[in-house]
Amino acid sequence: MTTSFKVELRRGMVVTGKWKQGRYKVDRLLGEGANGKVYLVQRDRSWYALKLGVDAIDLQSEINVLQSLAKQKQHGQETFLFDVDDLYGPDGKEYPFYIMRYVLGTTLGDFLKQQGMEWFPLVGLNLLGKLAKLHQAGWVFGDLKVENVLVADYGHVELVDYGGVTASGKGIRQFTEIYDRGYWNGGSRSADPEYDLFSFGVLCIQLHEPKRLHQLTMELLPLNRSTGELIQIAESSQALKPIASWLSKAFAGQYRNAEEASSAWRLLMHRRDTRRTAKTPGWLKGLAAASAVLLGTSVYWLLRNGL
Amino acid sequence: MKQILLITDGCSNVGLSPVVAAAHAYSDGISVNVVGVLDHGDVGELGAAEIDEIARAGGGLSRMVNTRQLSQTVQMMTRKTVVQTIQLAVQKELKHVLGNGSIEALPPEKRGDVVRVIDELGETSSLQVALLIDASASMKPKLAAVEEAIRDLMLSLQARQGKSEISVFHFPGSRHGDDCVMDLGWTSHLNGVNGIFPRLQMGGTTPTGPAIMQVIEFYRQGDYGRQSRDETDGMMSDYVV
Repeated sequence: MTTSFKVELRRGMVVTGKWKQGRYKVDRLLGEGANGKVYLVQRDRSWYALKLGVDAIDLQSEINVLQSLAKQKQHGQETFLFDVDDLYGPDGKEYPFYIMRYVLGTTLGDFLKQQGMEWFPLVGLNLLGKLAKLHQAGWVFGDLKVENVLVADYGHVELVDYGGVTASGKGIRQFTEIYDRGYWNGGSRSADPEYDLFSFGVLCIQLHEPKRLHQLTMELLPLNRSTGELIQIAESSQALKPIASWLSKAFAGQYRNAEEASSAWRLLMHRRDTRRTAKTPGWLKGLAAASAVLLGTSVYWLLRNGL
Repeated sequence: MKQILLITDGCSNVGLSPVVAAAHAYSDGISVNVVGVLDHGDVGELGAAEIDEIARAGGGLSRMVNTRQLSQTVQMMTRKTVVQTIQLAVQKELKHVLGNGSIEALPPEKRGDVVRVIDELGETSSLQVALLIDASASMKPKLAAVEEAIRDLMLSLQARQGKSEISVFHFPGSRHGDDCVMDLGWTSHLNGVNGIFPRLQMGGTTPTGPAIMQVIEFYRQGDYGRQSRDETDGMMSDYVV
């Protein structure tokens, strides 16, 4: 269910916080989550991300999570949450918002398309590292999906949209069906580290075999959805085969937390066959094709002239 | 916390207005959510207006979806309504603090504490959801999706820390004079339930209002779930208007 969200901030608009009078100049829309829209804004020549919510309770509950996370942060880590306030929208109504650090980067899917799949093992490892930190602090990310992972240069990973972050042991607050353990009849919808690792597994399949995954969701009857079907995709996919055993363990909940999962991932990464999964570069394919054509022509020429 | 979740695809056509019935429910402390399922074409303007108004009268939410979105919608709506119900209760409790009565009027720092309480209560308080399914002829191709949505809802509810139960009804009843029939009494798991709607005879009228009244009565008599279908049906005939 998408929230009907009509309010819109336009480029060049200056919004002012009702309580603390912070002034932010709107640049552009960065993205849309389940609880609101995220804009790129500027204040005193610095860039921030502004999340505008429709429902004050929903957004506040997300802010509460961010604040507890901030309290648990170890020294030396950057601040994430800068300001929390309300603003008057163009329609005159009040809307809650918060200001967070602007993360420069592209979504995971786009990053791999632009930079190449050879980045995938490292990005995966970094993502597991991010999850491990959350898990150690007693949280589960919940709504892990391709769109919620931003990747910056050199595979640096950042999670965005904390609307699904849930304290361990409670019911997952927000999730997306195809990444959901319950959807695949693979277990409960309670927040535990294994839940995130399950979604991570689906995310790997979504990145490499999006069509087959989509096909599966269209074809299978709800009762027949199973982790076995997911594993089958992995095993029959050239790109996923090397991590198929890792995926089966993740889907079966055999990694107790992201740390354990990430050490297993690291081991895989240093095996040759995993690294070799990167596709043959385009120019090489072109070269091979060209030489084949050349061979063909010369054989033809030889036959014609020689006989 | 008590909820009725009505899943329908069109207009009621017999008996008490469903809007009046939903208002009754709300006065009994039961929120009424309505999902309109439209797959082939439209529920029509009249149907859409009715769906919206039932939810308004019942203090709940309404959504129009297709069958593919049904599970996700049902699950989200139930969750949102839980928060809303608690929000209202908390707002009442805090009237002296909140002044004009809304949490939005608090400055963000104080809002944080109130929302923490709402979240905690939403997760831990006990919850009952009675699902009321329109089984008129046009709903037939959608029933598989409805059943899936019910199973999916159960899964989400099981993840809550508080006690959660669901019950399932469909309408119209099979015989003349039944407004709705109970398919499943209060339960907190669906293990071993193979088909929620066995041998369902679709068709007949759409007595949405009377069916809602019957579910309210089911709530009033908390132990009804243990009685047989026929008894349940019989007792309710008082409410046929």
